Amino acid sequence: MIYLDNAATTKPSTTALNKAQIYNSEYFFNPSGLYSGGLKCAQHIKEAKQSILKNLGSTSHEVIFTSCGSESDNTAILRTVKRGLFVTDKGEHAAVYKSFLELKNNGQKVEFIDLNADGSVNTEELFDFVQNNNVDFVSIVHVNNETGAINDVNAIAKKIKTINNKIVFHVDGVQAYGKLPYRLSQDVDLYSISAHKINGLKGVGALIRKKNLNVAPLIIGGGQEGGLRSGTENVFGIKVFQYAGEEKYSLIKENYSKITQIKNYFINNLDKTIFKIISGENSSPYILSVSAIGLRGEVIMHSLEEFDIVIGNGSACSSKNRYSRVLEACGYTPNILDGVLRLSFSTESTLDEANIAVEKINQVAYKLKGIMNK
Amino acid sequence: MKTAIIIRYCEIHLKGKNRGFFEKLLKENIKRSTKDINCTFTTMHSRYLIEDFDENDYEIICEKLKKIAGIHTFSPALVVDNDFTQIEQAVLELCKEKEGTFKVATNRADKSFSPSSMEASMLLGGKILETYPKQLKVDVKNPDFVVNVDIREDGKTFIYSDTVQCISGMPVGSAGKGMLLISGGIDSPVAGYLTAKRGMKLDCIHFHSFPYTGEAAKEKVIELTKKVGEYNGGINLYVVSFTHIQEAIHEKCPEEFMITLMRRFMMRIAERLAKQQNCQAIITGESLGQVASQTIESITSSNSVVTMPVLRPLIMFDKIDIIEIARKIDTYETSILPYEDCCTVFLPKFPAIKPNLDRVIKAESKLDVEGLIAEAFTKIEKYVL
Repeated sequence: MIYLDNAATTKPSTTALNKAQIYNSEYFFNPSGLYSGGLKCAQHIKEAKQSILKNLGSTSHEVIFTSCGSESDNTAILRTVKRGLFVTDKGEHAAVYKSFLELKNNGQKVEFIDLNADGSVNTEELFDFVQNNNVDFVSIVHVNNETGAINDVNAIAKKIKTINNKIVFHVDGVQAYGKLPYRLSQDVDLYSISAHKINGLKGVGALIRKKNLNVAPLIIGGGQEGGLRSGTENVFGIKVFQYAGEEKYSLIKENYSKITQIKNYFINNLDKTIFKIISGENSSPYILSVSAIGLRGEVIMHSLEEFDIVIGNGSACSSKNRYSRVLEACGYTPNILDGVLRLSFSTESTLDEANIAVEKINQVAYKLKGIMNK
Repeated sequence: MKTAIIIRYCEIHLKGKNRGFFEKLLKENIKRSTKDINCTFTTMHSRYLIEDFDENDYEIICEKLKKIAGIHTFSPALVVDNDFTQIEQAVLELCKEKEGTFKVATNRADKSFSPSSMEASMLLGGKILETYPKQLKVDVKNPDFVVNVDIREDGKTFIYSDTVQCISGMPVGSAGKGMLLISGGIDSPVAGYLTAKRGMKLDCIHFHSFPYTGEAAKEKVIELTKKVGEYNGGINLYVVSFTHIQEAIHEKCPEEFMITLMRRFMMRIAERLAKQQNCQAIITGESLGQVASQTIESITSSNSVVTMPVLRPLIMFDKIDIIEIARKIDTYETSILPYEDCCTVFLPKFPAIKPNLDRVIKAESKLDVEGLIAEAFTKIEKYVL
């Protein structure tokens, strides 16, 4: 199978799984246990946290493990600043977007900043808004999960803090962690990440927060994670996350250039008379958004299943809606939105696979074009 | 004091010498539906009784009974021995949480039981008033509820008040077998439900056009069929690959007849499968004039390729009334999921609303109808749901 929907999820790393297997056998203990096995588990969770901070090059943050990226986003947005003016952009993942709608329903003021055509945030509009309003909280996605557009979140954070130092700045880094060479700036207060996007397991995420920043828990109970996220820790999942992260960061630049080659292969070889490239030039190499103009992306996606090729159409998380909210916000018309396909890569993707996939994608698109233009 | 459920039928009462056939079928359907629940099932004059079940299974049994065609109503009842003290206790228990006006109606099949029916009603009514003086009052003409006391010859007395309305109709299997054309829309599951309710056992056929429609669309149809199956005592679904037929029509025939010709193929395939499965009718969810393919001209066109009776339970229903039934049978929310069952790739901009049969036949002559149908029959998936 040629799997090109890695922005939805990735195949768990066998190396990481094997290495962490010990936490399902020898170290199965509850990390809250006061006996040596429990204490060891707690210590090993701590190591996983240090590993994540090392990957992000930060000593001024700390890690709260959660159950997913969505939980991290929800906690950051709903449980840090109680009331005020909350600002985000129109290109956010549903976990952020719907948290903002929740804030709005609860009587808070929220603002959604426009996007550029490539899906990145219109920073001019953002800074202008922050300059002219008494903003309390800002959330910006690092890598847009549909177009791959990269927002320079460190630069944005710096500028925002220059305007108003009291603003809490959150970044949804789910599509960036383990993929982009990036150092977490001190100006970023909160950063959400997820394990299964980097060959870890579903059910594990983390919220990285600036030390001493007040965050209230979303889940209360046994007081794990310093009281910020109760629930017995998923030690196995956390360790797989750690090991998968270490694999990624040991080769992050090499992977970046390898995936860039693959992405460029698609860009150069998809038939230009059919496909429009939506992802911008400076987007993440891991995500390529294209549109088979006037055709139906979903039909192309299903047609490829016959050749054992899996791609995404729009965002898998929001496939219930006909058009992508984010791509509509980029200003695309229905004939482009109908034809949207998302190809997303992982470190396992190869040029050979790209070669086959391009040929088949062109082939099924030709056929569909022939039918639709009859 | 035990709890029992008294089950009543309705239209079967109207049957003459063949009444036994319907009663037997209904009994079998109830037994089959409750076979996984530990309980006893008995028959009493024109009624059925479910007893000896675990209290926790009560709601599950009720939910099952509400989906069995032929059952008109049922009542939860308290069961005691034919002993006045026990009857009194049960009556008080039944009225414990009730408010408003009531009357007691005693029916004494065991004529040796004393006091008489009239006296028993008076005595029990008096006891109720004495025990719950604030919350209850007697009104024999127009009470809010009736406390029924049914003293039977076999030594048991049933005390009940509430009556739960069920779907009525006739026992499934009493009116033959039909093949329902099911799409992912709102109408066809409702048509299926109404058919099963009148006693016709259903099989279902669905036309799937992968890759023009995805797996999710098929899953949705499976989900809907399962829900219809709950009224049908289980159900078989046949999924036919329709892709090549759609592509061939699209390629060779005028765009305006796309839907008309598709419907003709669907009806032909449905009839052949129906015959294979010993069905006696085809059932569709068509409603007159609802869409282009449901005008009388379109129906004439699709009907003309089959000889088997085509039943259209919704033909004169308004959409709003269909939706109301869909909500009642819990198919509406699934039906409105946005996985399309017919890809817009093939939808003509201006479909023929009143297709002329001669022109339709002429358009169709460009196709290898038999070859396409034969090919479709090689790709049928069966789901037992």
